[in-house]
Amino acid sequence: MPYNKLILLLIFFLTGCYQNETTQKKDYIFGTIVEVTIYGETEEKSTHAIELVFNEFRRLHHYLHPWEKSIIQEINLSIKNQEIYTTQDTEILSIIKHNQELELKTQGYFNPAIGKIIEVWGFHSDQFAMDRPNSTVIENLRRNLPHMSEINIHSRYIESKNKNIQLDLGGYAKGYALDQAKRILSKNNINNALINIGGNILALGRHGDRNWVVGIQNPRKPSSIGSISLKSGWSIGTSGDYQRYFIVDNQRYSHLIDPNTGYPANNAQSATILLPPIKSSGTLSDVYSKPLFIAPKKLKHSIAKELGIDFYMIVMADGKISISNDMLNLIKWHKKIDKKDITIH
Amino acid sequence: MIKKISQFIKKIQIGDLLTIFIFIALTGYLSSILWNFPQGEYLKIQMGKQEIGSFSLNQNVIKVIEGPIGKTEVIIDSGRVRISKAPCTKKYCIHQGWIKQLNQTIVCVPNKISISIIGNQSDYDSLNY
Repeated sequence: MPYNKLILLLIFFLTGCYQNETTQKKDYIFGTIVEVTIYGETEEKSTHAIELVFNEFRRLHHYLHPWEKSIIQEINLSIKNQEIYTTQDTEILSIIKHNQELELKTQGYFNPAIGKIIEVWGFHSDQFAMDRPNSTVIENLRRNLPHMSEINIHSRYIESKNKNIQLDLGGYAKGYALDQAKRILSKNNINNALINIGGNILALGRHGDRNWVVGIQNPRKPSSIGSISLKSGWSIGTSGDYQRYFIVDNQRYSHLIDPNTGYPANNAQSATILLPPIKSSGTLSDVYSKPLFIAPKKLKHSIAKELGIDFYMIVMADGKISISNDMLNLIKWHKKIDKKDITIH
Repeated sequence: MIKKISQFIKKIQIGDLLTIFIFIALTGYLSSILWNFPQGEYLKIQMGKQEIGSFSLNQNVIKVIEGPIGKTEVIIDSGRVRISKAPCTKKYCIHQGWIKQLNQTIVCVPNKISISIIGNQSDYDSLNY
């Protein structure tokens, strides 16, 4: 039967049209959505690699959790009880050392030792209390503000004389996980992937014959402000007041606490930074957006310069945009921005 | 010309008709499973890892999704979508209001439900927020 051949031919052409270019998987880890997209590999290979990445995310989530059972909680407890914490775990030692360096580099705007203040504000809960804490409590905590430099690490011992220290790596863990994901994917010969952990994104390789493209969320609308084409190895991170926050008396209180005041920073709606493929760039894309969000309006630009951030965009509290020239050249606006609403640095 | 066509039609046998019918049915079936929505815009609903499904935006329906902490209600209203009821305490997802453009997404983290508008072409691969 010649028709049989024709049917086979038809099936062949139909399947030929269908080409699954990307494999994308999502899960809920770190209390947020994580998403990995892989280009140009078989679904089987992609799924396997993504599962390895998600397993690492789950490990880190439990390992670094600020208020559930974790190594961080154990360290916090021994500091609180003024005991010496002994460990063979070199990973946690290097993570804490890195956090010490980052607090100094960011002039204290990134301070992962202030877990107590974050807890008092009620952000140590998935369903946080929507209430302002007592102002004298905040004032006391602020006056005795702990610093990462007060933690002493000797070979495998961790201790501190300041029992007010409470580690909270909420601003570090997701970025660290990005760098881990990058390592796992490269090890598994995945060259083209896009990793998104709660909005923090790292790009590997390309999407076929073009770069990966990411949208940037509008902090007050369920749509994007614009999009950015990410070259291989580049990462993008945003700190915003629209993901974890509560509103009391028409005042918005976000989880991004200014260590200098003890209160949520409120001079910006979001701060977005773009980093080239430098060492630990995933981690830094998470950490370095914090000082730009928190620091006073006048200092934001000089802090960006000091941290070596060439690409940044800040949506100020009044909705006006403050953007670096490099970022402006890269961003593709989804809506025309009025010239009076934008300041270029 | 017309004569030729009518002669041709007269030559068609039951077997031919059957073959043509099978061709059409097979083409329809295969394109529906092998082509990812060649046109139009759809709403993709996901609960945790699991994809609940994709639904045409050109309809007026209410979808109720059972999540880990309760029922989330999604309204599809001729091209636009919103979450109308949610079991979470903050109701951020409801406050987001209507979405209708490609790639717009509403997420209900406590109930692990995300709804996003998908279509043929997309402005970007992922969203930074």
